[in-house]
Amino acid sequence: MPVITLYYDKLKSLIKGELSTKDLIDKIPYLGVTLEEATDDYVKIEYNPNRPDFSTIYGIARSLNGILGFERGAPNYAINEGEVEIIVDESTQHVRPFIVSLVARGITLNDELIQEIISMQEDLHEGIGRRRRKMSIGIHNFDVLKPPIKYTTVHPDFKFIPLGEKEEMSMKEILEKTDVGREYGHIVSSFDRYPLIMDSLDHVLSFPPIINGELTRLTPETKNLLIEITATDLKADEDSLAIIAAALSDIGAKIESVKIRLGNSAKITPDMSLQQMEVDRKLANDLLGLRLNDEEIHESLERSRISVASKDGKLTALIPRYRVDILHQVDLVEEIAYGYGFEKLTPTLPEFKKAGKYHDDLKLIGLARDAMIGLGCIEVMNYHLISEKALYEFTRRKAKTIVKVENPKSIEYEFLRDNIFPSLLIVLSKNLHEEYPQRIFEISKVYSKDLRTPNGIREDYHLATAVSHSTANYTEVKSILSSLLLQTFNLSINTIPTNHPSFTSGRVAEIISAKNKLGIIGEIHPLVLENFKLRNPVSVFEVNLSKVIDMVKQKAL
Amino acid sequence: MKPLHALERKLLLSLIRNGGGLLEDVASRVNMSMDQARRAVEWLRSKEMIKIEEKVHHKIEILEEGKRAIEQGLPERRLIEILKKLNGEAKLDELSKALNSTPQEFSAAFGYARSKGWISTSSIEGKVIVKLLKSDQSTLEESLLKEISEKGLFFEELSEEDKKVVNELMKRPNYLMKKPIKIVNISLTELGRKTAETIKEVKEIDYLTPDLIISGKWRQRRLRSLDVEAVAPTIYPGKKHPVQLFIDEVREAFISLGFEEILGPIIQPAFWNFDALFVPQDHPARDMQDTFYVSKVKEPSISSPSLIEKVSRTHTNGWNTGSKGWGYNWVLDEAKRLVLRTHTTAVTVKYLADHKVSEAKVFSVDKVFRNEKLDPKHLAELHQIEGIVVGKRVTLRDLMGILSEFYKILGLKKVKFWPTYFPYTEPSLQSIVHVEGFGWMELCGMGIFRPEVTLPLGVKNPVLAWGGGLERIIMARLRIDDIRELYENNLGWLRKVPLCL
Repeated sequence: MPVITLYYDKLKSLIKGELSTKDLIDKIPYLGVTLEEATDDYVKIEYNPNRPDFSTIYGIARSLNGILGFERGAPNYAINEGEVEIIVDESTQHVRPFIVSLVARGITLNDELIQEIISMQEDLHEGIGRRRRKMSIGIHNFDVLKPPIKYTTVHPDFKFIPLGEKEEMSMKEILEKTDVGREYGHIVSSFDRYPLIMDSLDHVLSFPPIINGELTRLTPETKNLLIEITATDLKADEDSLAIIAAALSDIGAKIESVKIRLGNSAKITPDMSLQQMEVDRKLANDLLGLRLNDEEIHESLERSRISVASKDGKLTALIPRYRVDILHQVDLVEEIAYGYGFEKLTPTLPEFKKAGKYHDDLKLIGLARDAMIGLGCIEVMNYHLISEKALYEFTRRKAKTIVKVENPKSIEYEFLRDNIFPSLLIVLSKNLHEEYPQRIFEISKVYSKDLRTPNGIREDYHLATAVSHSTANYTEVKSILSSLLLQTFNLSINTIPTNHPSFTSGRVAEIISAKNKLGIIGEIHPLVLENFKLRNPVSVFEVNLSKVIDMVKQKAL
Repeated sequence: MKPLHALERKLLLSLIRNGGGLLEDVASRVNMSMDQARRAVEWLRSKEMIKIEEKVHHKIEILEEGKRAIEQGLPERRLIEILKKLNGEAKLDELSKALNSTPQEFSAAFGYARSKGWISTSSIEGKVIVKLLKSDQSTLEESLLKEISEKGLFFEELSEEDKKVVNELMKRPNYLMKKPIKIVNISLTELGRKTAETIKEVKEIDYLTPDLIISGKWRQRRLRSLDVEAVAPTIYPGKKHPVQLFIDEVREAFISLGFEEILGPIIQPAFWNFDALFVPQDHPARDMQDTFYVSKVKEPSISSPSLIEKVSRTHTNGWNTGSKGWGYNWVLDEAKRLVLRTHTTAVTVKYLADHKVSEAKVFSVDKVFRNEKLDPKHLAELHQIEGIVVGKRVTLRDLMGILSEFYKILGLKKVKFWPTYFPYTEPSLQSIVHVEGFGWMELCGMGIFRPEVTLPLGVKNPVLAWGGGLERIIMARLRIDDIRELYENNLGWLRKVPLCL
């Protein structure tokens, strides 16, 4: 989640009332953000992605002034009509179709302010912009430009001086040679022509979403800014511009609109008009467990910087354009809670009339676990993801019903296990220096292909046991197995000779109960022991507990 | 009578078999250290079973000249040996020269030899001539000296005659001395003798056998005393894994609050893990970086066409939920991708869709997956606690109350709530709890499911939901810093870690 650093001096200068630093720090979490770090000079906070307007200290101060009661209702952001036009070429429409823009005049930039603006830009790129794929922002020194601006596409061989370079580079070169080119180039590289923004003299403003031109670089002398935002999603485009417009206004800039022309149509951006939404007072009181009257709801919303219009007994919320997170009346309910103060909400306990109930399967699995513990075995818990090597190669099994993840971070955790016992052999191999005898068991889900299931993958609970010591043998695990199934589930079993590559032949059997194949039991083959670097004999059984549960349930019917 | 200690019994038995004597001798006979013997003697004396006599005896010790005499013979013996070599007769000055000693020694040797009648003297031409008369084999003095040097004798134990000899020897300078020593002599009293006789009849055995019990012969036996303070061999019992132990504790907490447990698949179509929860299809949580995708085996059937349609439209424009929606084109193929569930909420939402309940309290504590690189703070496989309450009149404050109660059962008495954000709940809260000996930690997140989630499923009443990671509480309780240790399956740790977390 994005993090922003708030210096107390700066924050206090933006707060429209008196407040101690301590009170300030105590109040900040009630904005719905998390305190990461507090020092004598600043706090670092983590804010949630639904509030991109918190990407600047101005956005935070705006909300703080509200919940502290120093300012109320939606802030008024006046947009002056500007003269700048952006002419959009039709060729952009299948590459990166949307562009919005504004001009901000009368800013006194300094290094700190430039840093704040860049930080906001980066956070918006990450969040709303989905790493620039959906939306990207260009911030330019307006005074070096000659409008009207053109948004068009050009051949990848087109050359200009990108920001931070001294020589002209072709756009193709930029994608190959610059860091940003390599990181974001994939967004445009599949197109024949790349998007480009130029002024009337063909000076390059930017190659969205990759890099600006060197020409419009911001300096502490810059007074007037042009913001352009290109996007593949109109909502992301307009939302971002509204957030930037609000922040720049709070910094003290005068915002001028820009006219966007595409063929015969034209629109004026930014649009900062308030969004209207009816307030469902009953819903608010029902969900929050409060009994607020209209006046209190009105005041609470205003403290959340939302204005309220009251007409014919209806309350209508007037939501500032930078609040891009309000989709539904329940979002207003939360705004009422913010304005009312979450700290004032006290817990209530509803009546519980019904008795609790364990899941039947897990109850039976619990019985099996208790039995295994009574039989002297220690429970282990392994990951469901395992390496191909341990699961198949070391156990000499053919990889028949592989279920694997597409994107593992490590080949150690790539396959969903179809059996537990390979994991138990890993556990034994990690405990060579612990006292013997070692008797371990595990109960867990395993995965196998089964086209009859909705996903094509079957999930079964298995129980596996491994016993290892100098005289560990088939008979010992058979005693444990028989006892488990008979004493716990009243199932008697037969063990029918079989062959299995992981086990010594003649000392391995299939576990059968009432014609149901329940699993495998035997002494682990010495080759397998060698593969796992084990030095003591190991005997193992593994039963399909889900099948056992089915049998038990059928018997009960 | 108080039962006798093993040491007492041992000592009594030896005294009656072998008689009394010096403490040292008795102790060595029964193979006890002097310390054990002194303790046993002291206990038995207080029970009046033995008598102790203490007296001072004198040990005869040999001094330097005495030692020389033992090695080389008494001076008078040496003198006559030389005389023998000189054919039994020699002038006094020649003899003195041949003896090679100081004048004082010579005169002493000469004096003793003459008084013993071994030699005689005569005078010829003004010179004294010494003549050998007889040469005794060995004198009492010599044999006694030898005995003292070999055995060490107490003066008081000597015969009267020997005492005289010793006294004579003591007159010679630097030969012998008498050293006073305290002697402890022990012997049985009448009571001691009787007691010892009763002991004598009982045979000591190491084990009680069925035969001894059935025959009643155990009455004639005595079980050997054991060193009850000795360390016994360690036994390792069968045991639940500490994580399972805590899972069961949490499950019990839910049961006690009247919740019903639900269970569902780990492999889920993205539809149930994300789409049905109103998580937009381009949400970062759905990235390959964060979520495990499972290779498809077949085209999964995810849900009924009507529910798919409702969810699709809710994402696009809000459908009938009163929401604006996310405003994008929802893609069915994206919803059909299989994931290892990133939260158990996938199961909860499926439950709601299947049952369309108007009232319910259900929970699960089960495994979830995150595509993380393993490090001390992150696991790819972990457990999630999750509960929901559906009801006509349930509120956010109720949710806070239920959570407080739930935490209280788990021993977490202090809890604080703050607002936060989750894509599928509104309003949403975060809770932090105080863990004894650890401090505050962030635990469950919670909220009321958005109508964009519940209305397409056919659930009209509010759904309170909360969830959080299980492992962090266990880590705090077990004082573990590295989360991976929980699943190392180190047998040494599993065997030793106490069950009462």
